[in-house]
Amino acid sequence: MEIKILNLTKAYGDFKAVDDMNLSVADGELIGLLGPSGCGKSTTLFMLAGLTEPTSGQIFFGDKDVTRVPPEDREIGLVFQNYALYPHMTVLDNITFPLINRKVKKAEAIERAQEMAHLVQLDGLLNRKPSALSGGQQQRVAIARALVKKPQVLLLDEPLSNLDAKLRVETREEIKRIQQEVKITTLFVTHDQEEAMSISNRIAVMNRGVVQQYDAPQAMYLNPINSFVAQFLGMPQINMFEAKVTGRGVELNGVLLRTREQLDAAGKKVADGTYQMGVRPESLELCEDGFTVKADSVRMTGRDLLIFFKIGTTEFRALTHSDLQLRAGDDLCLRARKNSLIIFDADGSALVKC
Amino acid sequence: MNRRSFKGYAYLAPVLVIMLVFTAYPLVKAIFMSFCENYSIINGSYKGINLENYKDLFDDKLFIRALGNTTLYVAFVVPLSVVISLIIANLLNSHIKFQGLFQTLYFLPYVTSVIAIGVVWRWIMNSNYGLLNYILGFFGIGPIGWLSDPKYSMTSLIIFAVWKSLAFNIMIFLAALQGISPDLYAAARVDSTPRLRVFFKITVPAMMPIIAYAFIMGIINAFKVYNEVFSLFNSKAGPVNNEAITIVYYIYDQFYNNYKYGIAAAGSVVLFLLIMLFTMIQRLPGRIKAKKEAAQK
Repeated sequence: MEIKILNLTKAYGDFKAVDDMNLSVADGELIGLLGPSGCGKSTTLFMLAGLTEPTSGQIFFGDKDVTRVPPEDREIGLVFQNYALYPHMTVLDNITFPLINRKVKKAEAIERAQEMAHLVQLDGLLNRKPSALSGGQQQRVAIARALVKKPQVLLLDEPLSNLDAKLRVETREEIKRIQQEVKITTLFVTHDQEEAMSISNRIAVMNRGVVQQYDAPQAMYLNPINSFVAQFLGMPQINMFEAKVTGRGVELNGVLLRTREQLDAAGKKVADGTYQMGVRPESLELCEDGFTVKADSVRMTGRDLLIFFKIGTTEFRALTHSDLQLRAGDDLCLRARKNSLIIFDADGSALVKC
Repeated sequence: MNRRSFKGYAYLAPVLVIMLVFTAYPLVKAIFMSFCENYSIINGSYKGINLENYKDLFDDKLFIRALGNTTLYVAFVVPLSVVISLIIANLLNSHIKFQGLFQTLYFLPYVTSVIAIGVVWRWIMNSNYGLLNYILGFFGIGPIGWLSDPKYSMTSLIIFAVWKSLAFNIMIFLAALQGISPDLYAAARVDSTPRLRVFFKITVPAMMPIIAYAFIMGIINAFKVYNEVFSLFNSKAGPVNNEAITIVYYIYDQFYNNYKYGIAAAGSVVLFLLIMLFTMIQRLPGRIKAKKEAAQK
């Protein structure tokens, strides 16, 4: 089912939780709604579910305007952050509940529930109560309950936030697998950028009720539209700093990061002045002919070595491979990889990448 | 006893002494009195220790009536009160205007004196100019002698008592309702659950512990009914001849009006055993369930 969101706004008094949102989702896509707390991502999800009424704007499922359609008639499956399983019913009763409500015959309901339980790998647990299940299993029950009525759209609110780290990675793959098997248009809310990037077809990054950028994970990571998106995606965070653009090129505390020729080669004329810039830690690479800095501290994270250093007074982080032998106090020669320095203009939108 | 525990007991002493004097001692004494034939409260003398009081008690038609009335009272007042309060609490918990006002209104009976309420209900149920008969008159139902016709004494008492007991139940049910996760209701909406099914499949199961509590407390209190009878029938136990007498009313009557202390004590012991029995029966399902769950784990 295609979804179209047109000029959707939700205001609580003067506060706009969602502000003039436009988004379209293709049939069968898995979309991540990503943003910090209070950015309006859950409000958006609940407006799609029909549990929150929009102040203005429209929501289309396919060709049908569902803006004023109550949740029970929207053909959606919704998975709550805390799963909201009915605690007094067994797993089987939980999954058949939506079917029985829709007057599906009991035998058929049980059969469909068993199929669904098999899909989410819950076989053998059907007679348990939710309280006798682990968090991950409860999550699967919630997904099975949402999917058993064969909805057109699946909505998940922070589906992984109540799980521990290991289970989180497993479960997100599981969600992706189930979504692909059922081929259902899915939107999920998350504040975890890694989670969003790893399974979404496209991500909508939101801040203060406004969609900042809506793109495929890789495109968004490489070409953030503004400084907010650049900072929100990526762990460790992108290095943000203020540097000067002069006749010589991009200068930071005496270090020439880019020559004027390199800057101009990016295709956009950047006027002289001070700009905010960003460069990702993994884009800083060791080389022979770059700028020399002293490592303030070095942290081993397993796969990578995270190096903290300063250019002048501006702090930076660089990621290198963990087999590099380096200690705090050592000198190292670095450069910013080609096409990795993003220059932002005064209002924060990305100007050029060079 | 070392110094530390001595200090501890010293702190406990005031309450312990009061409990011993006013709770434990009367309890033991009452059980003892119930076996004393012709016990005199003035000098503590008695004719002998035997079961004479119990024999007299069960030979007394008035006690048998009190027993029947009390059982009838418990059987109607408690379930009716719980069911009606459950419905009202649910209505009050939905998003209605003046919710706070209604909650206060429903709680008023709980903080008002039974005697004062009795005065009002005596007027409401008056057969000649009462509000109840006035309203029933619109439907062509002839004046009913709620408080004057012996036939209706127990009905009137039960109506009055149900109304009176709603307040407390509504209050605890409201508290329980507010503890149910709103997400469950949202999930039920998305699952297109009919309203009645939401009530029976989500609300009631979630409230089961508190409903059980309301039942136990309700039954214990209902067995001890006295004030309601006293205030509704203007300090008597019915319009003509003790038609609405209850066990506690009977005990009170034997003790203060007939000076049959032993029989009153025997009545108290019977009441105590009855309440204990019912409480134990009620706790049975919970215990069986707990055992089952323990076995599962």
